[in-house]
Amino acid sequence: MTSKMPDGKAMRDGQIFSARLNNVVTTEREFDELVTKSLPELLDRATSQTKRFLRETNQWGDDITHEKLALRWGYELVERFVVFGRTEVPCRPFFLLDSLIAKSFSQPDPLCYHKELLTPVGRFLDGLASRAVVSRDALIALFYHFYGFSQAHVVKLLGFGQAESQRVYKNFERWRQSGWQRTMNETGLSLSEIEVLEQELRARPDHLNNEVDRLMPVLQSHYRKSEPEHYPCLSEQKWGQLFHDDYGHDYRVWHLAFCRDCFMEVADHRQAELSNGSKPQVNLHIHPLKKGGVLALFGGDRGGRQHGHTRAQRLSRTSA
Amino acid sequence: MDTPELNDYRAHLLDALDDQPRRAAEERPVFLQVLVNHERVGSINCAEPNPAFACTTKDRSIQHLEIRSESGVLLGGCVAPEAGQRNLRLPVGKGSLILSVQNHFDGGSLQLRYEGAPGWWSQVASAIGLPAGAPSTAAPKVPVWTMTTAFAQIVLAVGVVALLAERVPNWLGSEDRAHQVEEEMAARQSTQDQIDQVHRQLAQLVEAQSAAMAVSRGEQDRIAQLNTLVDTVARTQQKLSSQVVAVQEDLKTVKTDVAQEVQSGMRVAVSAVEADRDMVRQDLQSIKSVNETLIKQVALLESRNRELHARLALTSLEVAKANAAAPKPTVVAKNDPPKDTPVATAVPVSDAIREADRQAFMFWVAFQDGTTEKSIEELVQEINGIKKGPMKSGWYSVEVNLPHPEPPDRFLESVKRAKIVKSVVTSKAMPPAQ
Repeated sequence: MTSKMPDGKAMRDGQIFSARLNNVVTTEREFDELVTKSLPELLDRATSQTKRFLRETNQWGDDITHEKLALRWGYELVERFVVFGRTEVPCRPFFLLDSLIAKSFSQPDPLCYHKELLTPVGRFLDGLASRAVVSRDALIALFYHFYGFSQAHVVKLLGFGQAESQRVYKNFERWRQSGWQRTMNETGLSLSEIEVLEQELRARPDHLNNEVDRLMPVLQSHYRKSEPEHYPCLSEQKWGQLFHDDYGHDYRVWHLAFCRDCFMEVADHRQAELSNGSKPQVNLHIHPLKKGGVLALFGGDRGGRQHGHTRAQRLSRTSA
Repeated sequence: MDTPELNDYRAHLLDALDDQPRRAAEERPVFLQVLVNHERVGSINCAEPNPAFACTTKDRSIQHLEIRSESGVLLGGCVAPEAGQRNLRLPVGKGSLILSVQNHFDGGSLQLRYEGAPGWWSQVASAIGLPAGAPSTAAPKVPVWTMTTAFAQIVLAVGVVALLAERVPNWLGSEDRAHQVEEEMAARQSTQDQIDQVHRQLAQLVEAQSAAMAVSRGEQDRIAQLNTLVDTVARTQQKLSSQVVAVQEDLKTVKTDVAQEVQSGMRVAVSAVEADRDMVRQDLQSIKSVNETLIKQVALLESRNRELHARLALTSLEVAKANAAAPKPTVVAKNDPPKDTPVATAVPVSDAIREADRQAFMFWVAFQDGTTEKSIEELVQEINGIKKGPMKSGWYSVEVNLPHPEPPDRFLESVKRAKIVKSVVTSKAMPPAQ
C-alpha cells in the first residue's frame, strides 16, 4: 500500500498518480495499470465523497463505525469503477469516478443506513444482507444464519429437484470456504467483534434472537427493494400453487430469503416435509455451517451453538 | 480518525480491490447474475446452448449493468447513457458476453448473449471449412470427457498436420480453386453479415422512429395543452381588463357625482350664508335707521326739554315778579330767612316760601381746557345760574333756582351734556378736591 509507507517517496508517488488520474487515459491497458497503482487514492476519494453524502444527509457521526461504513461503501464504488472504467476508455479516471459516485448517490435511498444497524449484530446482519443482493451463495446462506436451515432443509423448503439441489450444496460449500470470511472482512467486523457476538449468543440467545427478529424488517425493507417488480409477496394459496406446479425456483430463493413473513408462512405450510412440526422461528448463527453439519430444525435450541459443536447439531456424512 | 483498526480495515479493502482482477479471472462462468441499477433481474446459464437473456425496465432507464458470478464476484459491467444505445463485448472467462442496451428516458431494454471461446478443434475445423458448432457446445455439457476430447483433438491435429505435410505438394495445383471457394464463402458470409447488420439497423431505426413518434406525439399534446392554457389565460386577461375598465368608469361616475353634490351643497350653503348676511345687513340698517331716528328724537326731546327749562325759568321769573308786586306778610318767613341765598335778605317771607319752592341749588362745574369766559357766561346765563365767587382750582361755583318738580340730577345731566363742560359735582361749600 503506497499511501501507508511513511517515506517521502511514497508520498511523491501518490501525488504523481493523483495528477495522472486527472489526465486522459487512452487505452485499457494504461487504465488498468494506472488504477492498480492508484487504488489508495481512489478509495480515499470515494470514501471522502461518501462521508460528505452522509454529512449532508445528517447521517454522519464521528466514530469508528461511521468511518468503517464510509470505507465499505467507498470500496464498493471503487470496485465498480475498476470494472466499468475499462469500457469507458478514453476517459479521465477521477472524473469518471466522480460521475459514477454522483450517479449512485442520485438514486433514491442509495445506501442502507439505520442507527440500529450500527451495533455489532446490526452490522453483521447488514453485511450478510448486502452481500446476498449480489451473491447467490450469501443468499442461500441467509436461511442458515437467520433461521438455522442446513442445505438439506433449504432444498426441502424451496422444493428443489436434483440439479437445483446440487447448486444449493455448492452455494453452501463456497460460502463456507471463502464467502463468509470475505463478507466479514468487507463489512469491517473484526475477529474480536465476532467473538463478542458469539459469546453473547451463547450467554443470552433469546435476547440476541429477539434483537435479530426486531432488526430484520428494517434490513429487509431496504434490501428487498432490489427485488424486481414481478416479485411481490404472495398469498398462502398462491405459494401452495407455486410449489405444487413446480415453477418459479429463482423466485422462491430470492423472495423467501428476503421476506420474513413469507418465509414463516411457507415454512409453516411445508413443515410436514421439513421437520418435527415445530413452528419456524428466528435462530441466529454467526459462523457458516461446517462441512457435513445438519441442524435440528425448529427445536427448542435457539442459540446457533457454534456450527457443529453442540447437542443441537447432529453431524451427518450424508450431506455434502 | 486514524486508528489501527481502521487502518487494518482499509488495508483489507485495498487488498480486496487489488485481488479483484485475479478473482474475476478465476471464476468459471456457469451461472452469471445480471444486475440492473443494482437490482438483480435474472441470470444466464452459460452451460446451456445459446445462452441469452433479455429484460425490459419501466420508469427508469438502464444506467448501471453488472455481471456477477454466482458467488458475487463482479465480472464485468458498464454505465449506459440515459437515452440511446450502447453495445459492448465484455470478456468473461474464456468467452465473451455481448450486450446491447437500448435506453429511453422512461425505461430501457437489455439483451445479453454469451459466446463461449471456440475450442481448438473448432478453430481448426473452421479453418478447413467444416461445421464446428456441435463440439463447442457439447464440451461444457460433458466435463468428464474434456480431457479425453482434448487428447483426441491433439492426436487428430497431429495426424492432420502429417497428412498435410505429405499432401501439400499435390494440392498446389488445386490451390487456386480452393482459394476461389474460400473467397466465395467469405464473400457470401460477409454479405450475410451485412444483411444481418442492415436488418438490425433497420430494427433499431424502427424502434428509434417509434420512440421519436411517441415523443413527438407527447410534445404535440403538450403544445396543445399549452395553447389551451394560453387561450384561457388570454380570456381571463381580457375579462380582467374589461372589469378594470368598468371599475374605472364607475370610479369616474362616482367622482363626478360626489363633486356635483359637493358643489351644489356648497352653492346652497353659500347662498344661505349670503341670504343670512343680507338679512343681517338689512337688520343692521333698520337698527341703524331706528337708532338715528331715536337719536334725532332724543336730540329733539333734549332741545324741547331745554326750551321747556328756559320757559320754566322765565315763567318762574315772571311769577316771582308778580309775587313781588303783590306781597303777603308771613311771620314764619321773617323769623327764619334762608342763610345761604343772598336774595333772601331782600325778599319777604312769602317770597322766601316761593323761593324755597323754587329750590335754590348750588353746584360746582369744571370746563374743558381752552373754554373761553364768554362761553362760560353764556352757559351760566342759559341755565339761569349765578356764578358764586371766583374760580377755585378750575372749579366754578354756580347757583341756580330749579323749579320744584325738576329734580337736581336731571338738571345736572343736562348741564353735563354741554360741550364745554368737563365735569359737574354737587358739593355745597367747598370745591371738590383736585
